[in-house]
Amino acid sequence: MAVKGIKTKDKHIHGLAKLVGGQRAILYHKEDLVAYDCDGFTIHKHLPRAVVFPKNTEEVAKCVKYCATHNLPFLARGAGTGLSGGAVPLHNEVIISLVRMKNLISVDLENRRAVVEPGFVNLKLTNSIADRGYYYAPDPSSQYCCTIGGNVAENAGGAHCLKYGVTTNHILGLEVVLPDGEIIELGQNGIPDAPGYDLLGLMTGSEGTLGIVTKITVRILKNPEAKKTVLAYFDNVTDGSQAVSDIISAGIVPAALEMMDKTAIEGVEAAAFPVGHPKDIAAVLLIEVDGIAVGIDEQITQILDVCTARNVREVRAAKNEEERARWWANRKTGFGAMGAISPDYLVQDGVIPRSRLPEVLERIEQISEETGLRIANIFHAGDGNLHPLVLFDARIPGQTEKAIEAGSACLQACADVGGTITGEHGVGIEKREEMRFVFKDEEIIAQTNIREVFNPGNLLNAGKLFPTPGRCGEVKKEMKEALLAQ
Amino acid sequence: MLLAENLLEELKTIIPQERIKEKDRKSDPLGNSGKITVLPVTEEEISAVLAYANEQGKKIVIEGGGTKRGFGGVEEEGDILLSMAEFKGVVEHTAGDMTLTVKAGTTFNELQDFLLDYEQQISLDPPLREQATIGGIVSANESGPKRLGYGSSRDAVIGLRMIYPDGTIIRAGGKVVKNVAGYDMNKLFIGAMGTLGVITEVTVKLRPIAKYESLILLSFEEQDLEKIRAFSKELLDSSIEPVVCELLNPSLSKKLIGEEQYTLAVSFEDVESSVHYQEEFVKKMKPDGAKLKLLSGMDAQDFWRIFSAIAPNGNEEESFEEAAVKIGAVNLTIVDIIKESRQLSSSFSVSAEAHGGLGHGISSVYLKGESKELLKAITHLRKTAESLGGYAIVKHLPLALRKEIEVWGKKPAYFFLLEGIKKKIDPKRTLNPKRYVGGL
Ligand SMILES: Cc1cc2nc3c(=O)[nH]c(=O)nc-3n(C[C@H](O)[C@H](O)[C@H](O)COP(=O)(O)OP(=O)(O)OC[C@H]3O[C@@H](n4cnc5c(N)ncnc54)[C@H](O)[C@@H]3O)c2cc1C
Repeated sequence: MAVKGIKTKDKHIHGLAKLVGGQRAILYHKEDLVAYDCDGFTIHKHLPRAVVFPKNTEEVAKCVKYCATHNLPFLARGAGTGLSGGAVPLHNEVIISLVRMKNLISVDLENRRAVVEPGFVNLKLTNSIADRGYYYAPDPSSQYCCTIGGNVAENAGGAHCLKYGVTTNHILGLEVVLPDGEIIELGQNGIPDAPGYDLLGLMTGSEGTLGIVTKITVRILKNPEAKKTVLAYFDNVTDGSQAVSDIISAGIVPAALEMMDKTAIEGVEAAAFPVGHPKDIAAVLLIEVDGIAVGIDEQITQILDVCTARNVREVRAAKNEEERARWWANRKTGFGAMGAISPDYLVQDGVIPRSRLPEVLERIEQISEETGLRIANIFHAGDGNLHPLVLFDARIPGQTEKAIEAGSACLQACADVGGTITGEHGVGIEKREEMRFVFKDEEIIAQTNIREVFNPGNLLNAGKLFPTPGRCGEVKKEMKEALLAQ
Repeated sequence: MLLAENLLEELKTIIPQERIKEKDRKSDPLGNSGKITVLPVTEEEISAVLAYANEQGKKIVIEGGGTKRGFGGVEEEGDILLSMAEFKGVVEHTAGDMTLTVKAGTTFNELQDFLLDYEQQISLDPPLREQATIGGIVSANESGPKRLGYGSSRDAVIGLRMIYPDGTIIRAGGKVVKNVAGYDMNKLFIGAMGTLGVITEVTVKLRPIAKYESLILLSFEEQDLEKIRAFSKELLDSSIEPVVCELLNPSLSKKLIGEEQYTLAVSFEDVESSVHYQEEFVKKMKPDGAKLKLLSGMDAQDFWRIFSAIAPNGNEEESFEEAAVKIGAVNLTIVDIIKESRQLSSSFSVSAEAHGGLGHGISSVYLKGESKELLKAITHLRKTAESLGGYAIVKHLPLALRKEIEVWGKKPAYFFLLEGIKKKIDPKRTLNPKRYVGGL
């Protein structure tokens, strides 16, 4: 029964170790487990029971079956960069880590698709096909380390999703291990529109609560012939926001349209990739246009005109690829950069109709004043996806709670103008209660009903995504009725 | 008859009489009809009709513009035909946000015409857009040749308002273009053929209408199919950005442009300078012997308007002898499918018009002929698709023939999940009974 080299009385550790090829593919000592007690959302921490590292789909399925049989809660984990706590083992879960499944299985340029294992890192895909002129479009800022499996689970976005769409628009097929260990294939051969309810679409963005993704067929794109990037500095945020709307209204679809406010600029300039943004400006816009070279200049001219009309202080196009890359590095490392000006920070992820930008930014400013915490704003302005970064110091008693409160208030502000509480980071454990800002009880039950179809015992990643029914007697009652009616 | 009369009397208590119609046709060769038609104009009315039917065990067939009467289903009629034809109009359009919310019964053309003033559009090119409603288009997850550049319904929709069979109103998604709050429930309803709920409102993201567009039609000799494949490969591997790369079989090409040859339609939408640059690019690449025709601006638009009308239309009697098959296959194998469509008329007594996208993998084959021959041709096409790793579904066929063939093909291995979803949402199978995969 006992597995060689494993020193614990917990029989399940032995049982699981056997399935993944022994002691080298399992962690169970407390000192090893602490690295897995949270993800990029560090406010809630819980130790897992163990972490297993299967090397292929069969091993994943075996581990899942084992957990299901022995009634052990379990969850999947990629790189652990999730920002909403999706991979936090709230119930002492067995973590099934996909990091050993990191192969690029095949690339089929002619048919514009690639097949990867879930632990394959996002940026590696683009790097593997760049020499042949292709890339994988979804580009979360964490792309150098997050996994494509995690991207599927979160339906990750990125700066270039404005023109090219988010992860779900690029997923053609999935192999999934269901919570009872059965392996299914959605979108066979990566062919779109397979008959039947769109489980591929449903699975994407389900935050690891419906199944574990073990293989992914993605769409890949041809590199645009040319790209041009413009940087524009504004003395007030409203002008910057108006410029965003004007660019879109002019019929231009930029590949990316990003904005940072004054506090955010202070952060990125103090961190590893400063580019010399003036300290006294209120907002910087980073605008990228790509496509056929001859058509781009015309659009760049239009963008420059729009910015000028909105009182831009300075606007210019990147001189060369090197400068463009520096601007992007400065932007893409924006979250981490807050570490340079604050001991801790909390990232939020609301979305608003683009036209409401000025008033929501004003409201966020108010929230900052009310809580006494600084809030930096880095965001995908083109699609209205805000990332308020609440700066705080966890060592000061009460500040963490205040930061959470401020974050939640920002989401309320987004919901109030017809927006939503998360655009790409997911609900996880962080925004469970905020789900009520946008969904009625029946709508939440409609979703948990779907979860029951896939994950009836709720052993897989329980306690995520949905508000706790305990908070609301009615929902509890209805859920019970729904269960009884089964 | 008594039953229908009772039904009528009961319906009159929940929806104004002028919105109830008794059946005026003797027969419905396409099926998917109802003993009594209701034409609600408010959500409350729809909700009340649904709740009533669900309670009383009545079956509801949902219809938009009626173009897809021949799509799925094995019953001539349900108890109630819920027509969304009068549930139409724009609910909210925020030009600056590039989002539009409309009622489900609005026709596709009505929407695009409305948006024209704002130089915006829904990036979608579904068939039969004059009559097809947005609700029907979304329920069938429609797309067209421009799918290569635009995507399909599932890429355009950002929010839905649904009424569940018990009358509950459920919103999925929202009004913003990025949204990961909760499950992506939109996806569940898109393409579900109305078997989970009645879509009442659709919110879509918009795109600016391209400043300029053109269409290149390259016609090839019969024996040059491999040239087409090679040419397309090169085209798709280049850095130009065609919105369409669609292969038409000779009969369809003849109908549309008078050339009975395999024709590749390649189109561009961008600022004018970029479109011209790409036209030149294609001209330089053009293989020897291929005939090239260029349509610009309005001419290109006219072509696509006519193109949109080639699919069998459930509203027209002509369609009682037609079939439409949608085939999904790996992109470049589309050439083989289109070639097979050409050969159909020599093996069976059918005529076959077909087109397929080399960059998106979806083909459509439209057949005309005697019943038996239609069935044989469909079965043959399905075999071809499956041998290439793909699938074939029958998007249009008269009812009598639908009973003899699996419209959706084999049940997938994970059918139990589909069934589980249906059971949760529509346990009494009130909506569009047996219209979908595996009799869902
Ligand atoms: C600095 C920084 C910048 C970021 N920028 C962005 C950004 O621009 N855009 C964006 O969208 N996100 C961003 N993120 C968030 C995060 O990187 C993404 O959510 C990413 O998709 C998570 O991938 P991961 O491999 O780290 O997943 P993890 O954090 O390990 O897991 C995330 C969730 O997915 C589940 N999961 C993981 N793998 C699987 C699988 N194979 N099958 C089923 N479920 C699985 C987990 O259970 C968990 O619920 C950023 C994070 C950081 C730290």
